[in-house]
Amino acid sequence: MRNGRFRTPAMACVCLLTGIFIIASAFGVAQEPVPAEPIAEAVETEPFWLWMLLGRFHPLIVHFPVGLLCVALLLELIDWKGKSAALRNGILILLWIGAISAVMAVIFGWLLAGNEGYAGTNIEIHRWLGVVTMALSLLTLLFLKRGWIAAYRYSLIVTVLGVSLAGHYGAMVTHGEDYLTEVLPLSKPEGEEGSLASNNPNFVLASLKQADTLTLSQQQDLNLEVRTIFAHSCYKCHGSDKAEGELRLNSKEAFFKGGEDGPIFVAGDPGNSDLIRRIKLPAGHDDVMPSKGKTLSEKEIEVLTFWVEKGAPWPDKEKSIYYLAPLAPRRPELPVAQGDITQPIDLLVDQYFKDNNISWSGTVDDRTYIRRVYLDVVGLVPSPDSVEAFVSNADPHKRETLVKNLLNRDHDYTQHWLTFWNDLLRNDYTGTGYITGGRFDITEWLYQALRTNKPYNQFVSELISPTKESEGFIKGIRWRGTVNSSQSTEMQAAQNVSQVFMGLNLKCASCHDSFISDWKLSEAYAFANIFADTTLQIARCDKPTGELASSAMLFPELGTITTDAPTPERLKELATYLTQPENGRMYRTIVNRIWAQLMGRGIIEPVDIMDNLPWSQDLIDWMATDFVDNGYDLKRLIYQILTSKTYQLPSVSINEPGYLVDKDYVFKGMVRRRLSAEQFADAVSKVFTPLYDSTSLALKRLPSEAIENAPFPRASLVVNDPFLKALGRPSRETVITNRTSQASLLQALELTNGSKFSEALHRGAAEWKAQYANTDSLVAALYMRALGRPATPEEISLVESAIGPKPSEENIQDLVWALMLVPEFQLIY
Amino acid sequence: MATTWNRRDFLKTGSAATLAALAAGAPMASMLSGCSLTGSKIKPTADTVILLWMAGGMAHTETFDPKHYEPYKKGMDANGVLSTFPSIPTSVDGVSFSEGLESIASVMDRATLIRSYVAADMGFILHARHQYHWHTCYEPPQTVAAPHFGAWVAKELGPKNPVIPPFVDIGQRFTLGEGEELKAFHTAGFLGSEYGPFLIPDPSQGLDSVRPPAGMNLKRFEARNKLYTELIKQSPLEEVSSGYQKESLKRSMEQAYILLNSPEAKAFDLSSEPKESYDIYNTGRFGLGCLMAKRLTEQGARFISVTTEYEPFKGWDTHENGHSRLVDMKKQIDGPVAKLVKDLEESGHLDRTLIILASEFSRDMLMEGRPGATVKNQVKQPDIINEEKFYGMHRHFTDGCSVLMFGGGVKKGFVYGKTSDERPCKTVENPIKIEQLHQTIYHTLGIPPETNYVVEKRPFYTTPDGVAEPVMDLLA
Repeated sequence: MRNGRFRTPAMACVCLLTGIFIIASAFGVAQEPVPAEPIAEAVETEPFWLWMLLGRFHPLIVHFPVGLLCVALLLELIDWKGKSAALRNGILILLWIGAISAVMAVIFGWLLAGNEGYAGTNIEIHRWLGVVTMALSLLTLLFLKRGWIAAYRYSLIVTVLGVSLAGHYGAMVTHGEDYLTEVLPLSKPEGEEGSLASNNPNFVLASLKQADTLTLSQQQDLNLEVRTIFAHSCYKCHGSDKAEGELRLNSKEAFFKGGEDGPIFVAGDPGNSDLIRRIKLPAGHDDVMPSKGKTLSEKEIEVLTFWVEKGAPWPDKEKSIYYLAPLAPRRPELPVAQGDITQPIDLLVDQYFKDNNISWSGTVDDRTYIRRVYLDVVGLVPSPDSVEAFVSNADPHKRETLVKNLLNRDHDYTQHWLTFWNDLLRNDYTGTGYITGGRFDITEWLYQALRTNKPYNQFVSELISPTKESEGFIKGIRWRGTVNSSQSTEMQAAQNVSQVFMGLNLKCASCHDSFISDWKLSEAYAFANIFADTTLQIARCDKPTGELASSAMLFPELGTITTDAPTPERLKELATYLTQPENGRMYRTIVNRIWAQLMGRGIIEPVDIMDNLPWSQDLIDWMATDFVDNGYDLKRLIYQILTSKTYQLPSVSINEPGYLVDKDYVFKGMVRRRLSAEQFADAVSKVFTPLYDSTSLALKRLPSEAIENAPFPRASLVVNDPFLKALGRPSRETVITNRTSQASLLQALELTNGSKFSEALHRGAAEWKAQYANTDSLVAALYMRALGRPATPEEISLVESAIGPKPSEENIQDLVWALMLVPEFQLIY
Repeated sequence: MATTWNRRDFLKTGSAATLAALAAGAPMASMLSGCSLTGSKIKPTADTVILLWMAGGMAHTETFDPKHYEPYKKGMDANGVLSTFPSIPTSVDGVSFSEGLESIASVMDRATLIRSYVAADMGFILHARHQYHWHTCYEPPQTVAAPHFGAWVAKELGPKNPVIPPFVDIGQRFTLGEGEELKAFHTAGFLGSEYGPFLIPDPSQGLDSVRPPAGMNLKRFEARNKLYTELIKQSPLEEVSSGYQKESLKRSMEQAYILLNSPEAKAFDLSSEPKESYDIYNTGRFGLGCLMAKRLTEQGARFISVTTEYEPFKGWDTHENGHSRLVDMKKQIDGPVAKLVKDLEESGHLDRTLIILASEFSRDMLMEGRPGATVKNQVKQPDIINEEKFYGMHRHFTDGCSVLMFGGGVKKGFVYGKTSDERPCKTVENPIKIEQLHQTIYHTLGIPPETNYVVEKRPFYTTPDGVAEPVMDLLA
């Protein structure tokens, strides 16, 4: 009773507000709170202004219950023993105002949510938490007034919890879902400004904006860009697999139909298009699209907005969203020679540098150059004698001479490049398949092909239309038992031939029509069928379709396969069609692979996706054409690159390996590389003591000339082992076109305490001790052999202070171990 | 502590960087799909997984799902033999095991037993293919190198203790028959070698893998490392060049040094285990592998696989003398597995450690493959048994296998699924496939079912197409 005086006015207030609400509703003004997802209709009828106005008071009013109820609990806690009646009175007042404002907040909030198009899970949770909290606050008030102190207290605590939660969800609605979490590390990335999903080099939005009306071709380009954005960012939930909100964006018809709430755009009016509204919302907002993953970049939003503004043109004749690089060769004109830039590669790179405001950064010194070319041509570090002879040679053409001489060391060259080709052609000495006769190696053929520098067109021909010795590549690996139809040996041949020689991924299409290119299942089967002795039955996702495959080239313009010819004839046709000069794609692919091998990064990356854009189209086109014009000569190609000023630029260090495959990559010179497993092993063998003995060699597979002509058992010739594996030699079950330069713990453990390296250190130390009794002579010899340079005085004194003037065998082991692990030894600078 | 944090940071950035570096067909963390990032958060119930691998095909009717027992008699009818051992009770009423598994039976009240695992149907049966499938969830061959599920765990969760490799594989040598086929799935595949298995073929030699090379004392080891770091500092190229390869080289060496020098490395040293405990575990290499798994788990391992080791016609791969061979196999596993469960329970780790005991498929005396998909017999089995060597489960059976799980959030004293009591003893209730089993394991670890990476522009999921779901009935 003591609080009676509050009762009447407060109750009156509640009644009044409720009254207003009921009356207003009864008026039936079409403004009845619109349920979630107003989408397009919301545009047609504007809600009654008063409700909108009241609604907008929600954010103001809502702070009252939050604050007051919390303070009420705080005071209650302070006076938990209930000594102060005055305080209790104060609390009661707080509860009254808190409860009333909670009622108002709920009403206003309801109006706001209804009238202004809020929707989503968070708003629903917020809505009902608000209502529950309001009810709780009234209940708390009731308990207190009844004097049920325990019930009141519990109720108050729950109310405060409720109001906090409701407040939190409210905050997520207005400030974004990740309002709290976004300041934490690892929060969600937003779309980078300015990035566009598409690959289309010719698309320039600004030029379209200048046009009054778009031509058909411009419409196609714009539409293509739009669909590329859809494919990239929206198909996952609104594509052929999934239609969230009953919306699909993957066809004209589906897009115009809209989702469960009807159309998602108003042609010509981006401002009233839900599509545009939602992609512009901040990340984390309930309505933002895409709701998962990155939001769209500003450029992408600009493209979509402009497209809707132009009436969302979607010509019936669509351009493919997948860029397919032109097949034909191209012969760009070389820029005119200027000063000392005369070599074709340099001329084209010079042009590229000019276009990108890059200046030539100089030329590496002799020591760096000779180590580089030795490792790149023969895979070995140069001996001290060759380094000194080279450095002191005054001949201005000594670099060209050096490369020429190295390329003429046929066996050394072969024993280095064998590794690259074994990876690429999936050729190994051991591995799955051999056990059951389901796999054949091509080692002898490959060795000979490299040693004789077989012209590349012939090289490819012999792999595709093989003899007994070279058939292992297209025969694939046959596992016992039933295998998925996308992995039949014929399909493996189709996948491997297209990947290795054409830089084209057929793996998706060998199971179903590709989602990442325009290649169809039937095309993949037609290509695979060329390799088949009996006509293949097409299976989609491993389920037979009942259709039989035809036989056809992936690019029909290259030629027509005689379907009823016997397999060897068809393979002969295939080889002829693929290797013809008109197949520019094949020669771009090989030129790019060799470039990547020597420069650490291709002109096109990844090297297996030749539909990606090169950093210089002229360069790759010119080199490919030149390669064809000059006898498909791989050694000549290597010579051309290694003697260019471009190759001789100082190496570039990359801090973030992701940059190497970034499409904004800018070429500035060779990317610093790590020695491959084989190069490292051979370097240890040559500098210190052979790592392998002849028992490690793959004797069963190798031709005898390889063994007879190896300076020591080279790593490319041995059976894979844990040491090489740890350093990155892959198991060649599938085609491998790139090895990582990143070191790992397992690798470091192998180098630190693995038996292979340790045993070699033990073996070698004894010999070295006999030869070098003093530390200074030991250091001098070791540095020259390992790094191709004399040790500095600091280095000599450092080692002397560490191991003393007369090294023991153990000292030698430790010094060699340490030196071979320093980055200067392990990297190609 | 500060250095520990640096290591941990390194592991994170290192891994992201490696992924990005694998350029050709670069498997990029699928940021764009956002699946693994924004999918609903799962509260993990396990931090560590121990896989106890019964290599070679463990017959369910001879182990955890016993059926009608028929003792050996010369001239007996093969068709009447479903089990060659009598049943024994377990600590759970109504659940029986096969004789010889008394110790594991005593901890059945801590276990979830799946009796309805159904292996894949891949035609002519080859152990290596089924093992590949069990461990990677993909049927070989594949167009991209599929990662072992331990590598997925290592990739998604990283090491639990930064100095213990996140994926340790104990007990398998690769120099035996089908070694190449085994290598094909003991790999991190496209995830990159840094998530691959740390191999300890012989647990009694395990310490050698994590201590300075043979014959090198700690003092010399430290001096050698010091020389290495000082030589780097002196190198004229050190100042002018940086780059990720160099940084990662240096960091990985530092990390190896720390591991080889760390107190945690003692976990690999089985000789420091009290004798009483050691003796119970010491039933051979598998038993000692269990001991190492226990010790590593207590030091913060992430994923450990311990195998009875696959070698054609050895171990569980019984092509003859099945009965007598299994007496030995059970001796190998019974004590150590039960002890592992009890030890981890005692040290408080069992709740957060998921133990899984499984095999690539089961066996039967007569049926090769499964009903409706029988394949070519590989073992001669007379209908009337006149020699003891024909008494046993010698054919490969794929339609009803037992999987035993402990800890890490699975139910206790619970049996899921059922096989028929008549030959063929095939699954008749609640069949579970490998992708469901994997998803259940990932679920306990908090790894969402749609986790994937884009390889060669295609998403590659933990389980095919990312559509399988965990079997929630198994979880407490």
